[in-house]
Amino acid sequence: MDGPDVGWYLIVAAMLFGIGALGVMLRRSPLIVLLSLEIMLNAANLTLIAFARQQGDLDGQIFALAVMAVAAAEVAIGLGLIVAMARRRMLLDVDQASALRG
Amino acid sequence: MMIAAAWACLLSPLVGALTITIAGGRISRRAAGWIATLSTFIAFGGALVAFVGLWAADPSDREHVSTAYTWLAAGDFEVQVQILLDTLSSTMMLIVSGVGGLIVWYSMGYLAGDDEERRYFAYISLFVFSMLLLVQAGNFLLLLVGWGLVGLASYLLIGFWHYRPEAVAAAKKAFVMNAIGDATLALGLVLLIWETGTLEYSGVFEQVDGLSSTIVTLVALGLLGGAVAKSAQIPLHTWLPDAMEGPTPVSALIHAATMVTAGVYLLVRASPIFEAAPDVQHLAAILGAITLLVAGFIALVQWDIKRVIAYSTMSQIGYMFMAAGIGAYGYAIFHLMTHAFFKALLFMSAGLVIHHLDGEQDIRKMGGLKAVMPRTHIAFLAGALSLAGIPIFAGFWSKDGIVAAAFATNDALGAFLYAAGLVGALLTGLYTFRLYFAVFRGEPSELVKEHTHGHEAHGEGPLTMLIPVGVLAVLATVGGLVVIPGVWEPFLHWIDETAEPLVQATVTEDYGTSAIAVSLGLIGFVVARRAFHAGRQLVTNPGIWRVLEHKFYFDELYDALFYRPAAALSVALRRNVEEPVVERSLDEIGSGTIQVGGEVARVQSGLLRTYAVTIAFAVAVLVVVFVAVR
Repeated sequence: MDGPDVGWYLIVAAMLFGIGALGVMLRRSPLIVLLSLEIMLNAANLTLIAFARQQGDLDGQIFALAVMAVAAAEVAIGLGLIVAMARRRMLLDVDQASALRG
Repeated sequence: MMIAAAWACLLSPLVGALTITIAGGRISRRAAGWIATLSTFIAFGGALVAFVGLWAADPSDREHVSTAYTWLAAGDFEVQVQILLDTLSSTMMLIVSGVGGLIVWYSMGYLAGDDEERRYFAYISLFVFSMLLLVQAGNFLLLLVGWGLVGLASYLLIGFWHYRPEAVAAAKKAFVMNAIGDATLALGLVLLIWETGTLEYSGVFEQVDGLSSTIVTLVALGLLGGAVAKSAQIPLHTWLPDAMEGPTPVSALIHAATMVTAGVYLLVRASPIFEAAPDVQHLAAILGAITLLVAGFIALVQWDIKRVIAYSTMSQIGYMFMAAGIGAYGYAIFHLMTHAFFKALLFMSAGLVIHHLDGEQDIRKMGGLKAVMPRTHIAFLAGALSLAGIPIFAGFWSKDGIVAAAFATNDALGAFLYAAGLVGALLTGLYTFRLYFAVFRGEPSELVKEHTHGHEAHGEGPLTMLIPVGVLAVLATVGGLVVIPGVWEPFLHWIDETAEPLVQATVTEDYGTSAIAVSLGLIGFVVARRAFHAGRQLVTNPGIWRVLEHKFYFDELYDALFYRPAAALSVALRRNVEEPVVERSLDEIGSGTIQVGGEVARVQSGLLRTYAVTIAFAVAVLVVVFVAVR
């Protein structure tokens, strides 16, 4: 098989996932949170593709395409929410949007 | 041919009931009445065809079982939907559908203008079907089905005027009392299944001799319990007088002519079982004799025209129980038939009177109706003479036959029954003519005058009421001529083919008894007449009067014995179990859930990032756990 060993891909993916997760947990701007989510999803995609290559099987790649479609839909909704928040002149801060507190 | 006719007889009223129910408001009230009437008369036609077919057949070929399909099958035990056509059931079919048809016809006039006529006719068709099912059933289970259905129809019809609290209470009382009988009957049948593995009449009767006497006695007791409740015999009799809250045609059909005599039919139908348990059979006779006396005495002091007749019904069924209890089955069914004629006639004449007086039932407010309602007077008189057992009238032939049969048994029990029967004859004469004089003789009362002037035009009632009454008046007069002891007894021989009698009075015994019974009936008539003209009551001792007025305190006794303890127990259970245990534990489950929910809700901070951290942490923990476990 060409290219680096699958382990390297996994390391990159893990780093990307970590960055994304930290972004979701630490940043307060909803735009950045969405962006971080995308990074996490792409980390997952990377592992899928890496394993697909290692196994010589296309299933993982097809699954990655499906994830991308879901991610696109999710971004559309997320951006829509953010636009709606901005329209209402709400503060773009996820900590402030806590109306669902129990 | 006759089998098909028997099925048509059974199903025609059912079709009628369903048609009226489904058609609902799309047909007029009158049409509903005609559907019910015609379906019952079609049933009568079917019964007639079956009867004639049976009559023409060879005596050895007069028992036919027709099976439609297998209803239940559990291992070797099978119950078929089947009808039995023999001399007994064909006779009952004729009585039920014939008298039933006349009464349904009559009720078209009686209920005209009632808001819920269609419901009435659907119910009454259902009743006729149920009663026919009861008498035509080819096995005990189907009989029990009919047994339960007539109870249901009776309940529905007693409570037909559901806006009257007394009617609803009476309906409930009848249902509960009957349920006791249904339960003992069902237990008896369970025991039969257990012991014989079948419920078909022939199968059961073949095996009866092989059963232990304890089992047979228990089965017979179960059947007797059902019969006693259905036929309003002591000690399960208190529902019948209250059942008079229903419309009068219902009283005539269900609570005089047919349903209440179902117990007698059962005693005769299951005679092989009772003969194998002679003690129970004698118990039936004794209960009948006691009921006949008790009811006869109570009837002396009642003021409600229908209640007097109701007590008289209990008393007459007492005679039938006596007859069935000593094995004079032919006479039991014979009296059942003549009683159906004259008692339905009495109820329907009383219905004409009540109808004329706009629902008044108190005989103290009646009087002198002879001049106002001459035809009703004649009809009622025919019924009264028949009931009192005056010669040539139907009741004379049947009642005296029963008393003579009691004499012919020639033992202590027979002597007791004989005495009871004769005292009963005197009582019958007394209360019958007390009623007759109070309603029809003397000067017209205020109420009667009032109603006479207003109603000059509409006579005694519509033709739909008068014709059935007329037919029954004829039947009550000549219907007993199918048995003339010593001369011709085709009716008795007919029934004997199904239920062989155990006792047979000689012609001398028969006419001797008749002479005594008729004299007693006439004495009753004379005493009632003199008391009426003297303005006295028949019972003058105030103490006895009070006891009789309270119906020997049976209601009070049951109230104290069953109702009060049950009610007290219920209240105690409510206070000590329901409220503290059940109710509070439910409360606590509720409030506990709310409390826990409040605690858990605090976890929902609404902070997105907290959730994210929680998820991440949880996933991390899971990963560690999975790795560690592996």
